[in-house]
Amino acid sequence: MTERPTHEAGWLEKRLPIVSVFRREYVDFPMPRNLNSLWSFGAFAMVALGLLVLSGIFLAINYTPTMADAFASIETIDRRVASGWLVRAIHMGGVSMLFATLYVHMGRSLYYGSYKTPRELIWLTGTGLLAMVMITAFAGYILPWGQMSYWGATVVINAVNAVPGIGHPLASWLLGGDGLGDVALHRFYVLHFVTAFSILGVIALHVASIHVSGSNNPTGVDPQGPDDTVPFHPYYTSKDGLGICLFLAVYAVLIFFLPNLLTLSDNYVMANPVVTPKDITPEWYFAPFYAILRAVPSRLGGLVLAAGSIAVLFAVPWLDRSPVRSARYRPLLKIALPVLFFSFFMLGMAGMHAPTAPWLWVSRLCVAYWYAYFLIMLPLLPKIEKTYPVPVALQGQN
Amino acid sequence: MIGGLLSKRETMTSDQPSSPSETEISVVESAPKRRDVLASVTVGLGCAGACALAYPFLDSLNGTRGENAAEDDTIEVDLSAIAPGQQVIVKWRGWPVFVQRRTPDMLAALRAPGLDQRLRDPASTIMQQPKDAANWHRSVVPEIGVYVGICTHLGCVPNYDPPSTADTSGHYACPCHGSQFDAAGRAFKDAPAPYNLPVPPVTMLTPNRVQIGKSKGDPGFDIANIQQI
Amino acid sequence: MRWMLLALGLLGGVSAHASTSEQRGFKVFRQVCSTCHSLDHVAYADLSGLGLTQDQIKEYAAQHQVPDGLDEDGDPKTRVARPTDLIGSPYAGEAMARMANHGSVPPDFSRRAMTQKGGVAWIVRMLQSYAEAPAGRKLPPGSYYNTAMPHGHIGMPQPLHDGQISYEDGTPATTKQMAEDLGAFLEWTARPHLAARHLVGVFVLLYLAGMYVLLLLMKRRVWSRLRQTDASRNF
Ligand code: HEM
Ligand code: FES
Repeated sequence: MTERPTHEAGWLEKRLPIVSVFRREYVDFPMPRNLNSLWSFGAFAMVALGLLVLSGIFLAINYTPTMADAFASIETIDRRVASGWLVRAIHMGGVSMLFATLYVHMGRSLYYGSYKTPRELIWLTGTGLLAMVMITAFAGYILPWGQMSYWGATVVINAVNAVPGIGHPLASWLLGGDGLGDVALHRFYVLHFVTAFSILGVIALHVASIHVSGSNNPTGVDPQGPDDTVPFHPYYTSKDGLGICLFLAVYAVLIFFLPNLLTLSDNYVMANPVVTPKDITPEWYFAPFYAILRAVPSRLGGLVLAAGSIAVLFAVPWLDRSPVRSARYRPLLKIALPVLFFSFFMLGMAGMHAPTAPWLWVSRLCVAYWYAYFLIMLPLLPKIEKTYPVPVALQGQN
Repeated sequence: MIGGLLSKRETMTSDQPSSPSETEISVVESAPKRRDVLASVTVGLGCAGACALAYPFLDSLNGTRGENAAEDDTIEVDLSAIAPGQQVIVKWRGWPVFVQRRTPDMLAALRAPGLDQRLRDPASTIMQQPKDAANWHRSVVPEIGVYVGICTHLGCVPNYDPPSTADTSGHYACPCHGSQFDAAGRAFKDAPAPYNLPVPPVTMLTPNRVQIGKSKGDPGFDIANIQQI
Repeated sequence: MRWMLLALGLLGGVSAHASTSEQRGFKVFRQVCSTCHSLDHVAYADLSGLGLTQDQIKEYAAQHQVPDGLDEDGDPKTRVARPTDLIGSPYAGEAMARMANHGSVPPDFSRRAMTQKGGVAWIVRMLQSYAEAPAGRKLPPGSYYNTAMPHGHIGMPQPLHDGQISYEDGTPATTKQMAEDLGAFLEWTARPHLAARHLVGVFVLLYLAGMYVLLLLMKRRVWSRLRQTDASRNF
C-alpha cells in the first residue's frame, strides 16, 4: 500500500467528494444579492414536505388500510396513540401549508419570469412536482375512509372513468375491479406513499437544475460578476432561516389553534356507500380546479378544462415570447398577471360554493381568463408591449 | 436599527463575502465576543427545537401505551379433560401456556438421582416463577404443571414428548436449536437455552380447575419482572 | 407531555375533589344517553382523560359485556368488558338499534360535537327545547315536539328532566345544568386532546418567537456586512 490517508476528510474527499460538493453548492454557492422573501418559499416547501414525509411515516406505522379498520385506526391514532394527535395534526397541517407555499412559489416564478431560458427544466420539474403533490394529496385524503374520503374518491374515479378511451382501463387499474372497496383502498395507500417518496427524487432534480442555471432574481437580469452575488451561506441561510421561523409560526397557529380549518367535519363520519353527505366540498387547495370541473355543463368538457388548466402550465416557457424576464419591466404583464392570480383566487372561492348563478359565472369568467392569459396573452403581449429599460447590475437593487 | 448598531462592531470570520475590503480587515482586532454568543445560542436553540420536534414522532412509537396496565386478563382452565401424562396448550396474554397432568412416574423422574447435575438451575433459584412454584416440581401442586411454552433461548415453542414405555419421564425438546427441558420446564445443560421455562402466576381453584393470571401464593408476582420470557 | 398536562391541571386549579363539567356530563351520558347512544370510538380507558381513576373506569367497564367469539356449541359468547375495549353501542347491531327506535339509529357520540350542524351549542339548546305540542299540531308517530328541530319534531323522547339524576358534588341536576354538562362531555369526546393542543401550541409559539428574535439579529448582522462592503467600495 503506497497510499496512506493523511486525514479523514482527505480520504473521503478522494473517494466521494460530498463535503466539497456540499460546500460548493450550498455554502459558497453564488446567489444574486437582491432576492426578496418570495425566494424563501422554495425552502418553505422543503420544510413542509420534510414534515409531511416524517409524520407520514409515523402515521403509517399505526394505520390500517382496510375498509373495516381504516377509520377506526385513525380514531385510535387521534385518541390513544401516544402523541398521535400531534403527529396527525402535523401531517394534516402540512398539506395545507405545502399547497399554499407552492401556489406562492409558482406565482413568484410566473411574475419574475423564472421559467424562461435557461430555467425551463426547473419550471417543468416544478410543474411535475405540483401534479405529484396533487396525486399524493388526493390519494391520502381517501385513507381515513370518512364520508368525504369516500365521496371525493367516488367523484374523481367517475370522472376518470368518463374519459373516452383510456378512462375506463385507467380507473379499473386504479381500483382493481370496479368498486371502491378494500382492494382500491389498499392501492390508494400504496399510491399515496410511493408518489410521496418519488416527490423527494424529483425535488432533487428540481434543485440540481437550479444549481446549474443559478437562481433568477427580481430584476430577471443575470448577475454580472462577484459584486452582484453573495455566498448562499450565511446570507441566504440566515434569511431563509428567519423566513422558516415565520412559516413555522403560521403552521403552528393552524394546527394548534385553528385545526378545524384543516378538515371538513363530515370526514369524521365513517364512509357510508348509501348516504352522500349534503354538500361535498373539496379541500381548499383543490377548490380552483373543482370550480373549473363544474364550469361547463358537460362532464367531459369540465374534465378537459380542469386537466388542461394544469397541462397548460407545462407549456409556459414556450408560450411566453418576451425576452424580458421580470414583470417589473413589463407594463402589460404587470397588470395581466395579478389578474390571473385574482382569477385563481376567485376560482377557489367558486369551488367552495354551489355552482349556481353568481358563482357559476364567476368560475366561467375566471377559467376563460386563465386560458386567455396562457394561450393568448403570453405569446402575443410581447408584440404590443413596450418594456421598461432593465438595470445592468444587481447592486443597489435590493 | 439593531443591524446598524451591530454593524459598527462587525467583524469577519470564515463566512465573509468573496472579496473582503480593507475596512473589514481593519475591524478584525476589535472583534467582540458577543457575535459568537449569538451564533451559538441560535444554533443551540435551533437544535433543541429539532429535538423537541422528534419527541412526538418517537413518542408515537409507544403506540397505545399503558393501556394494558392493570388489565384483568386471567383465564381459567378445566383440568378434568387432561389425561395423566398429557398436556393442553392454552393462550394467555397471547403466549402459549402448557398445562400438564403428571403421572407418578413423571413425578419420580423429577427427583431421579443424578438429574440435578444435568440441569442448569435445578432448584429454581433464578426468578423464572412465582414463589409458590420455586420448588422441586415447579408448580403449585405436584400433579399439575403450568409453563409458558416459550423457549428461553430464542423464543420457539418446545415440543412435548409425553411419557412412553421407553422413557416415562416426559420432557420438552425445542425444535429450533435443540434445547431440552424436563417435565418441570427445567433447562438441561449442554443445550442453548439459558433459563428454565417461565411459570405464570397460577391459583388452584378446585383440584380440577386452575386459574392462570393470578397467584394466590405470591400475589405480588408480575410476569413482566422475571429474568426472561 | 405529561408534565405539561400536570402544569395545566395546576393552572386550571383542578383538584381531586371538585368534579368538572365534563365529568358530570359523563354521568349524564352514562345514566341517560347511553341507553340508546353509542360511543363507538372511545375506549373505557380513554375516560382517564376526563380525570376518572382506573378503578372508576374498571367499575364502569365491568358493567358491560362484549362479544367474545363462539363457545363450544358454536354459539356467540360474551365476556365482561375491559378498560381497553371500546364503549361502543348499547345495541348488538344497527338493525337492532333501528328496530328499537322507530326505524332510525340514535347517532354515535364519538365526534358528534364536530359533525353536528351548530355544534355542541345546538345540542345543548335542543335538549332544552322540548315542549307541549301546540293544539291541533299533528306529529308523525314516534316523534316528539321540539322547537330546535327544523320541522319542529324529533324522534327522541325528552331525555332530561329536572332532578332525574343526582350529582356527587351537590350540583343541582336541572335540565339546563345536565344539558350543559353533557355538552362539555361531547366537546371532550370530539376533541379529547384540546387542552394539550392549546398548551403545546403556546409553548411552540413562544419558542418560535424566541428563535425569531435570534434569527433576526443574525440576519441583520450578516446582511449589514454587505452594506458595509458596498460603502467601502464606493469611496
Ligand atoms: C414539492 C414542491 C417544490 C419544492 C420542494 C420546491 C423547491 C424549490 C427550491 C428550494 C427552490 C430554490 C429557492 C426558491 O427559488 O424559492 C425552487 C426554485 C424554483 N422552483 Fe420550486 N419547488 C417545488 C415546486 C415547484 C413548482 C410547483 C414550480 C412551478 C411549477 C416550481 C418552480 C420553481 C422555479 C421556476 C424555481 C427557480 C426560481 C428562481 O431561480 O428564481 N417549483 N424550488
Ligand atoms: S429457540 Fe429453542 S433452542 Fe433456540
